[in-house]
Parts: sequence; C-alpha cells; structure tokens
Amino acid sequence: MNKTLTAASLAFALGAAMTVASAPVAAADMADKEKCYGVAMKGKNDCKAGAGTTCAGTSKMDHQGNAWSLVPKGTCEKTVSKTSPSGYGQLAEFKEKKA
Amino acid sequence: MSLSIFAAALLNPNLPAPVGLTAWNGSDPAQRFRVYRNNVIVSLVDALADTFEVTQELVGEELFRAMARLYAYAHPPQSRLMAFYGDEFPCFIESFSPATALPYLADVALLEYRRVVAYHAADVPGVGAEAVADVLADDVFLPALVVSLHPSISVVASAFAVVSLWAAHQGVLELSAVAPEASETALVLRNGIEVEVLQISAAAGAFICELRAGTNLGAAAAEATGIDADFDLVAILGLLLQKSAITALHPSGSPS
Repeated sequence: MNKTLTAASLAFALGAAMTVASAPVAAADMADKEKCYGVAMKGKNDCKAGAGTTCAGTSKMDHQGNAWSLVPKGTCEKTVSKTSPSGYGQLAEFKEKKA
Repeated sequence: MSLSIFAAALLNPNLPAPVGLTAWNGSDPAQRFRVYRNNVIVSLVDALADTFEVTQELVGEELFRAMARLYAYAHPPQSRLMAFYGDEFPCFIESFSPATALPYLADVALLEYRRVVAYHAADVPGVGAEAVADVLADDVFLPALVVSLHPSISVVASAFAVVSLWAAHQGVLELSAVAPEASETALVLRNGIEVEVLQISAAAGAFICELRAGTNLGAAAAEATGIDADFDLVAILGLLLQKSAITALHPSGSPS
C-alpha cells in the first residue's frame, strides 16, 4: 500500500492536468460577473452566507431591489424585473416601483 | 438571581421561571419569561432553517422545526456568529430516531454546513501555470511534492447520493430521478466568491483528504489507486487546478 508512483507518471499526470485545466477557467471569476440587482427571486439571492448574515436569502419579496444575484456579465439588463422602473434588472440598487 | 440559573431556565422548558423577575407593567413574570424563552429558541430554529434549507425540504417544515428545537435546547450557540450555528446538527440528526427513515439526512445536512463554512473560508489565490511548470522542470521531486489546497475545500464522503439529493433541491436535477442509496462523494469548494458542490469519485475524495493531511503527491496518489484501480489522477488534478483550488506547491516536502 505504501508503493509510490514514479516521478515520470506523476509528471505526466500533472502535465496532462494542466491541459485539462486550461479549458475556460475564469467562468466563475468575479472578473466576468456583475452584481445584478432586482432579479433574484425571494430567498434565492446568491449571497448565501449562513444564518445571521445580513444577506443570506433575506430578500422577502420577489425582485427585491436591493438584493442581487451574480449573473453572467451582460445578461443583467436583459433579465426581466417586475419591480424595476426600466422593467429589467439594473446594475445598481434601485427603489422598487409598485408591481 | 444568578445568570446561570437564568440561562438554565431559558434552555429547559420544564424549569420554572427564575425567582426574582419583575414585569414593568405588573403582568405575570413567569408568562413573560415563557414568551422570551420561546423567542430565543425560535430565533435559533430560524437560524438552523436558514443554513439547512435542503434538510428542511427533505423532512418537511414540521419535523425539521421540532428537531431543530430539540437541538437548540441541547446545543445552545457557543459563539455569537450565527452563520456557524449548527456545526453539530448533522451529528444530532444521525442520532435522532424519528429521522432514521431518512438515513441520508445527516450527510445532506453536513454538505449544507460545509457550504456555509466554504463561503466564509479565507481567500487564497490559486497557483498559476508557471508554478506548475516549475515543479515539472524537476520531476524527480514530484513524488515528494506537498500540495496546499484552498482553505474552503472539504470532502463529504457518503454512503448515500448526497450530491444528487442536494442538487435535486437546487432545481438542477429531478428528485424522482435520484436513487438515494447510491454512494456519492461531494467536493465542496469556493472558487472566487462562488461555492461549488462537485461530485467526485470516492478515490478522488480520499486523495484530497490525503493531500489536506500533508501527505505527499506520490503517496496520496498511491493511496487513491489502492482504493480504486481506476482512480483518475489527471482528472482530479485538472479539476483542482481549474477551480483555483491548488494554492501552493512545495517541492521540498513540507509547506513553509
């Protein structure tokens, strides 16, 4: 059980792993995400951080204006929001209009 | 009246209200104390419901809240950080007899708790291609290579379909398509600000646990291959690199 793998086989594995990993990596990076306000459904906003945190699933109404979800960049303002004055999600907090 | 008597009465509904309480408006202090006691417990039950959402969906609100209430009496918070309240809840569920009909419940709860912990773990950047190229340049040191993993990483190895059960409650998978008795291993990690739950093989889970314990790459890979001859070292290393989950490589052995 204490046999160890050869240096060559490990080098092969790590080298091959680099190729696997170099497929689009940054999908989950903040860099190509934007904070999108007003498109999270009730209790489903993205900042799930556990109980007692200020934002864990705390949005109490659908499309609450100050609760944001991370959405792929560019899609925010195309997401329909009933409460947004523009009718779509916005890149900053907004005051909900009456739905 | 001492604080300890007050605290004991707060957490045991069978104890009378502490002697010496007065109400500002002359109402019955025992009645007011019961209201306060209930508020304390309900707030803790609510906190557990926030963290253990899927667990609650699996057993239904009624059983969940009853179970959470018993837990709250037996395990009051030891910290003011409510995000981490419930660390012993999965163990509690395991020994909670009304829940034995759902043997996977404790593992699903553990997965949910690990997600919260991963969310709050420290930020550490992943290694880049140059660091990997550096260690590859001297491959005689590779078997002794010690690999540091991101602090958010944890493995939940379950005899049940813990990942599928959890995913079915995220709208990713149909619950009816899940066979709960199929053993699954979950890898929980945070990549950037996003917590991810990934299904990996049991051998890959063991490999990650070995790396976390400081076992070198050669021995960890051998251990995993011993568990499953089909252990795919390339796939798991690729996944860890892709998720920025490898944070340092120490060719000389011990991490600095």
